[in-house]
Amino acid sequence: MTAPTPAVPAEEPVVIEVERPWREAWRMFRRNTAAVAGLVTLSLIVLVTVLGPFVYPVDPFAPTGPLLLPPGEQGFLLGTDQQGRDLVVGLLYGSQSTLMVGAAAAAITITIGILFGALAGFYRGWIEEVLMRITEFFQVLPPLLLAMVVVLLFSPSIYSISIAIGVVSWTSTARLVRAEFLRLRELDFVKAERAIGARNARIIWTIILPNAAPPLIVSAALSVGVAILFEAGLAFLQLSDPNVMSWGYLISVNRPQILEAWWPVTFPGLAIFITVLSVSLIGDGLNDAFNPKLRQR
Amino acid sequence: MLRKFGMAALTAAAALHAAPAIAADMPKKGGTLVMITSQDPRHFNPAVQSGIATMGPGAHIFASLVRADAKWNIKPYLATSWTTSADGKSVTFKLRKNAKFSDGKPITSADVKFSIEIQKANHPFKTSLGAVTGVEAPDAHTVVVRLKHPHPALLLAMSTSIVPIIPKHVYGDGQNPKTHPRNSKNVVSSGAYILKEYKRGRHILLERNPNYFLKGRPYMDRIVYRIIRDSSSQVIAMERGEGNLAPYMAEVASIVRLKKSDKLVVTDQGYAGIGPVTWLAFNTKEGPTADVRVRRAIAYAIDRKFITEQLHRGVSTAATGPIVPGSPFYTKEVETYELDLKKAEALLDEAGHKKKADGTRLELTIDYIPFGPDVQQRIAEYARSALKKIGIKITVRNSPDFPTWARRISTWQFQMTMDLPFNWGDPVIGVHRSYLCNNVKKVIWSNTQQYCNREVDKILEAAGKETDQAKRRALYVKFQQILARDLPVYWIAVLPFHTAYDKNLGNPPLTIWGVISSMDDIYWKKQPK
Repeated sequence: MTAPTPAVPAEEPVVIEVERPWREAWRMFRRNTAAVAGLVTLSLIVLVTVLGPFVYPVDPFAPTGPLLLPPGEQGFLLGTDQQGRDLVVGLLYGSQSTLMVGAAAAAITITIGILFGALAGFYRGWIEEVLMRITEFFQVLPPLLLAMVVVLLFSPSIYSISIAIGVVSWTSTARLVRAEFLRLRELDFVKAERAIGARNARIIWTIILPNAAPPLIVSAALSVGVAILFEAGLAFLQLSDPNVMSWGYLISVNRPQILEAWWPVTFPGLAIFITVLSVSLIGDGLNDAFNPKLRQR
Repeated sequence: MLRKFGMAALTAAAALHAAPAIAADMPKKGGTLVMITSQDPRHFNPAVQSGIATMGPGAHIFASLVRADAKWNIKPYLATSWTTSADGKSVTFKLRKNAKFSDGKPITSADVKFSIEIQKANHPFKTSLGAVTGVEAPDAHTVVVRLKHPHPALLLAMSTSIVPIIPKHVYGDGQNPKTHPRNSKNVVSSGAYILKEYKRGRHILLERNPNYFLKGRPYMDRIVYRIIRDSSSQVIAMERGEGNLAPYMAEVASIVRLKKSDKLVVTDQGYAGIGPVTWLAFNTKEGPTADVRVRRAIAYAIDRKFITEQLHRGVSTAATGPIVPGSPFYTKEVETYELDLKKAEALLDEAGHKKKADGTRLELTIDYIPFGPDVQQRIAEYARSALKKIGIKITVRNSPDFPTWARRISTWQFQMTMDLPFNWGDPVIGVHRSYLCNNVKKVIWSNTQQYCNREVDKILEAAGKETDQAKRRALYVKFQQILARDLPVYWIAVLPFHTAYDKNLGNPPLTIWGVISSMDDIYWKKQPK
């Protein structure tokens, strides 16, 4: 009686791959070796930044040796700067503020960008007009100049610098978010949500925004890199918090000596270069990870 | 090795100046001197404008009554002789008879009288001619300066472009001398050179004044100021020989580098007159620094030796009191606050600032002027590390621009600040202002420390009028000793101003006023290619 129900092993490939999207993204990300290298490097930098001060608790501003000692001499691995400060210590403590400013500025960029872009893209009409004109206003101002003005207004501190960088770099994120919203708001699943009576806030924050996330994440990662460069640029123009060690500060104070001592400028410069490069590589990897067109490969 | 050469050259230059007779080879006429400067002048009339940018070219364009040598001796210039009356209340100058302006009009006592009156009414250094009550011109070549009280600083003020002689027939037309159009165009010279061309941000071109009253002078046909703001570019221009003389170099790295060049002489001579000091000023009226014990503790914890020998790499010298070491009134017999952390901590204990659990005793802020980082920001940052050792937590306050700093200091909204006032030759001109009770003003570079000591006031008043040099010196010695005890400011270092010049130049500007007095005697021993 047991009729041999024919198994359907031949049909096995029919089983739909239901990999969770985040896991799939991670798989895609891993395929990009450069991005993984960037991630490893950045993780190392973050680790050193967090642990460094516990392992090596010193005053990063205190002179500890002779001035402008070349790398490797008298036990100073990277040499000393023009005040006799150990560059290893300077780099170690400098990364704190550099990364903090990078992260905080990126957070501000993303927050303002999402707020403006989402509201403009979702509501359209006069709200969009107003918000996008404001965005354009910020877009046409030279960013470095505007950032300098903001820093000068509040006098240079790590907070004012983060805010300044955030305030000048949110416009592209806003435009990106708006474009995503314009695209998504017309799609069926959004219409369905509206049909069952969802409130606008729910549609914006829990329906459209998560679907707009992939390009946003890429843009966020890249804006961290931009913010770090910005911080270094401001510090180079002597607009840094004199009470906080940072890589840009090291470059700015040691620049006059560059003709006779290359190392106090080169090493912080390299540190900035490596950090920004790894952040960019990660951004690149994220771009791959969230790009549906690449999944079929 | 190279550095040694620099030192040798420096001593040689000093020796050369000490004995002018050494210039056995006669100065040769002709050639162009290219000077490097970082600043654009507002205009060229130093009678109404202070500052090196105007005083430098101004000293070539306008003669002064007298001039000074490297040893503070006053020498004849436009005036051939001068006599002070017995009571010290009038000084009579005899002028050269052949002197002419560059437009051919004679320089007479009327011009001198006019110049002194314009300067007194408009120049920011009020005390330089403050004691002058009137000027008389009994004949075309005699000038009598009447004084409220004896004013020993008078001749020194008149020995540089602080009191230049300007043409009455140009500036006496009733226009405001501060904004007179002829301050920068068609300037009529009384000095060795005339202004030929000025291109803002590029160069100033001066040419020999054919009517100059000293026959045979100046030796150089032309003086060109090249305006180069960036100090690295200045260094490269000097190394390449594109500049022959770079005064007022203050960046340590540049000085150290140029000292290695075998084509140049680098010297710190030529700045005794302006007496530039960098110091840490205290707010003596409010906050913890109102307590002299706190001020002394800070002084004991900041190591001047580290600053001059390490931070400035040996190119600056320590300042121990209100009067710079180059001045004839200077004394080193004062409390010098050699590094002593134990003493510093004991003083803080005594003042009631006990060590808290986290090791700190009190918190203070330091401001600084946002330029010349080697003598401002770097020292403030060093002080932060140094004071941390005795439990004082320092916040370095950044001022984004000069007006911000000036506003904070002139409204007394500060606890400590780095500052760099100049002595300007006689203490009456540049020193008194920082310590007199009646100069406690909400004005920058007055007594913003709000220090007031009646005894000091009395000494300074007496010293300002004392004509006997020895007695005057004794008064200033006492003044310096009291100040070092009261410590309204902690004097740190004489600015590392240096002049770099081509070693083929004869008679380089090494007098007390250096390049801000006439350089009609500089010449090429060997013309550059």
